[in-house]
Amino acid sequence: MSEGGLKVEQPMESVEALSREAEGLKVKLEEERQKLNDVPLTTVAARLENLPPLNIKPRRVLKGHQGKVLCSDWCNDKRHLVSSSQDGKMIIWDAFTTNKEHAVTMPTTWVMACAYAPTGNMVACGGLDNKVTVYPLSFDEDVTQKKKAVGTHTSYMSCCTFPYSDQQILTGSGDSTCALWDVESGLMLQSFHGHQGDVMALDLAPSENGNTFVSGGCDKMALIWDMRTGQCVQSFEGHESDINSVKFYPSGDAIATGSDDATCRLFDLRADREIAVYTKESIIFGVNAVDFSVSGRLLFAGYNDYTVNVWDALKCQRLTILYGHENRVSCLKMSPDGTAISTGSWDFTLRIWA
Amino acid sequence: MCLNGIVKGEAQTNLQVQSSIVEQLRREASIKRTPVSEAVEDIKQFILQHEQEDYLLIGFSSQKNNPFREKSSCDIL
Repeated sequence: MSEGGLKVEQPMESVEALSREAEGLKVKLEEERQKLNDVPLTTVAARLENLPPLNIKPRRVLKGHQGKVLCSDWCNDKRHLVSSSQDGKMIIWDAFTTNKEHAVTMPTTWVMACAYAPTGNMVACGGLDNKVTVYPLSFDEDVTQKKKAVGTHTSYMSCCTFPYSDQQILTGSGDSTCALWDVESGLMLQSFHGHQGDVMALDLAPSENGNTFVSGGCDKMALIWDMRTGQCVQSFEGHESDINSVKFYPSGDAIATGSDDATCRLFDLRADREIAVYTKESIIFGVNAVDFSVSGRLLFAGYNDYTVNVWDALKCQRLTILYGHENRVSCLKMSPDGTAISTGSWDFTLRIWA
Repeated sequence: MCLNGIVKGEAQTNLQVQSSIVEQLRREASIKRTPVSEAVEDIKQFILQHEQEDYLLIGFSSQKNNPFREKSSCDIL
């Protein structure tokens, strides 16, 4: 009935009609998702044998930060690690030897995000300064000399990553948006609007799956985005509090999330719904970071109770607890070849487990 | 006339917001979905195919192969 010009003349009626349509669509979506919920994950997994005990031990402790470690990222060479801290420093470590190769002081404290570029020649970081700044790494001169501010949000930057090349960088912010920037020109190539609260985490789909990424935020939603169009292609709800961490399942068909509600969840992209919740009554502290092992069978999660829980992703059972940190585990990442897990904590240290 | 303009402006914004909400929901409603059982089976298959490369899961046959093994000291014989 209402089309183009007519809409403007009778605006109130159309808004109501759209509102009703929106409600109707939401109900239909819920019904569609329920219809396909034929067999729970745990039933399928029950037929699998229990895993043998894991042999994961703390192998290295990286000491050097003078403040809470907030973020870390591995270099593709599987041995270097970048970490950023509340003390305003970014440190590049050789995880094999525990040597600090570079230490960069940022002009602000609370460097909440850091990332290694795919070539290993550059790192990016940012936080309360609302900016993402890249630092080309060099042993010849002071790394801070060549730094370059690439993009600015209207609130803190919470996460960043290089999507597949050194030329672009993807950021998430407290201003509820994500943005894709060209590193050389500093231009914003795409922006992603849809979250109703701070974006806390993002992760790229494995490259076989093309140009998508997932973001999680304080609006308790996980959203899947098309990098080229800027559109949200799927949305997942279920968490009862802020989502602090999101990670793609190694096949690209699912995402794991960790939240302040003390649970981790698995959402399948093709079934378009939550298919697992990793929770125990005894676990009451929020999850800050999640990551999968290479096959996806193990889900590692770092909690506010200073521990890392290792979950059997299929059987939804906790396999083991990694103790060692003396304060909240704030970040956690599997090494590029899957041989180790790095964890960072408010106890000022990073640890490598293998 | 001014007032009309303001009212129209607000209604237009509301309309735009509602329009984009409905468009988003229409997009999401139209995607193709697979049953959970099928999705889970695919996940299970992926795991089985990649288990042997997953060192955190299966461990190392000898700690010598673990790049992060404890740094051993040399013994003088």
